[in-house]
Amino acid sequence: MIQAENLYFSYTGTKPYVLEGLNLTIRDGEYVSVVGENGCGKSTLIRLILKFLKPTRGSIVTTAARIGYVPQRSDSSGSGFPITVWEMLNSYRHLLHLRDRSVLEKSLELVGLTDAEDALMDTLSGGQNQKVHIARALMGRPELLILDEPSTGVDPESQREIYGLLKRLNTDQGITIVSVEHNLDAAIANSTQIYHLSGGHGHICTPQKYVEEYLGGKGTEEGHV
Amino acid sequence: MFKYAFMQNALVVSVLISILCPCIGVFLVLRRYSMIGDTLAHTSLAGIAIGLATGQSPVLGAFLFTSVCGALIEFLRKYFPKHTDLILTIVLALGVGTAITIVSSGSVHANIDSFLFGSILTVTKTDMILVAALSIISVLALVLLYHRLIYIAYDEEAARIAGVRVSLINYVFSVLVASAISISIRIVGVLVLSSMIALPVATALQMGKGFRGTLLYSILFSVIDIMTGLVASYYLDVAPGGFTALVSVAVLIIVLAGRRIRVGLRAAANN
Repeated sequence: MIQAENLYFSYTGTKPYVLEGLNLTIRDGEYVSVVGENGCGKSTLIRLILKFLKPTRGSIVTTAARIGYVPQRSDSSGSGFPITVWEMLNSYRHLLHLRDRSVLEKSLELVGLTDAEDALMDTLSGGQNQKVHIARALMGRPELLILDEPSTGVDPESQREIYGLLKRLNTDQGITIVSVEHNLDAAIANSTQIYHLSGGHGHICTPQKYVEEYLGGKGTEEGHV
Repeated sequence: MFKYAFMQNALVVSVLISILCPCIGVFLVLRRYSMIGDTLAHTSLAGIAIGLATGQSPVLGAFLFTSVCGALIEFLRKYFPKHTDLILTIVLALGVGTAITIVSSGSVHANIDSFLFGSILTVTKTDMILVAALSIISVLALVLLYHRLIYIAYDEEAARIAGVRVSLINYVFSVLVASAISISIRIVGVLVLSSMIALPVATALQMGKGFRGTLLYSILFSVIDIMTGLVASYYLDVAPGGFTALVSVAVLIIVLAGRRIRVGLRAAANN
């Protein structure tokens, strides 16, 4: 699904590199959480997958024809942009050239927000906002779903709902998920693989291995989400 | 008042301005690009000067020159990605510099004041036809690009993922801005033209509606502003541009006050 080979990236085109010689394979149907310290290049990696950025050296390719993307709380959330949930999703439906209006209702139903159609995006809670963006990503029936810190600014109850939904999408519908995570509990509880980024280098392993290697076998203090 | 041919021309052009300006303005304001409207309005003076100096239509001259300047703004984004203000300064220097050079050379044998302040007396039948053609083409383009423009304003990355050619649409949008500016010059004038693009939208944003609602309210406020300005300028014998700008500020203040009173009454009812 995603293959990175000897991937280097720097915003200036020269050293120091944000990502340095990454080799990564993500297979169909995996749920990979990308973790690491702030500024280690997690978001840069997903921007490379999405082709918003070009590698400085090496390559990163995806075979997914349909990609859904959930940004880290929409750039426009809280900005006063006057748009309702329905308008936001309906315009996106038009961009995807989807004639069937029911995809909009179905995706809202999937995230449990059918009553919020007429609400302004700006008035939604963090959790609702994130769910609407997941609904938007799902409208195009993605093979690959990429999320950037899906639980940032989201209350614990909504976090549980969002991660439950992601898990179901991965196991029931076989959607490959790549999620940048600062929430280690959620990463350990839900992922099939964890990709740890540090100092420009990456290491992929199972959640169990991750707990053993990086957390001394103790997990995190707060328990799983 | 509308028995005079010049007032009939002015009325038709005013109706078209009051529809097109907020349709363009809503996207400019929501993208935080209001100052682009102001810059392009000022650069249109160079197009007017070129049109007058060469004996061609000043409206057409303004449209062509402003389109080039709009495209130039998009082009310069590659070189100054984080300095939109600097790009506007460069384009403003080019536009106003060209205008001043041509006007001061004495090759313009017409009163440029009417283009600075707006005038209801100077709208010719040719202007009206050109304005109508530009307006119809612009509105059609806006209808076709409606969802793409919304998304470029709301979430440009999501638009790119959905396959929208953002750069191309931005260039097309520059031409649409140029079109709105060139049709407005005759009535509103260069100096306060940007207020016609931004102020009805600023007022409509106070209504707390979705995108479509905000757009419709923008058009409504724009019609109120421009028509009041047109009628008042006839009876008061003042330039329509200045008075229209004053009306649009007054309408904004009234709406803000009304909103404050409504919120106050609601709070009092809850207590």
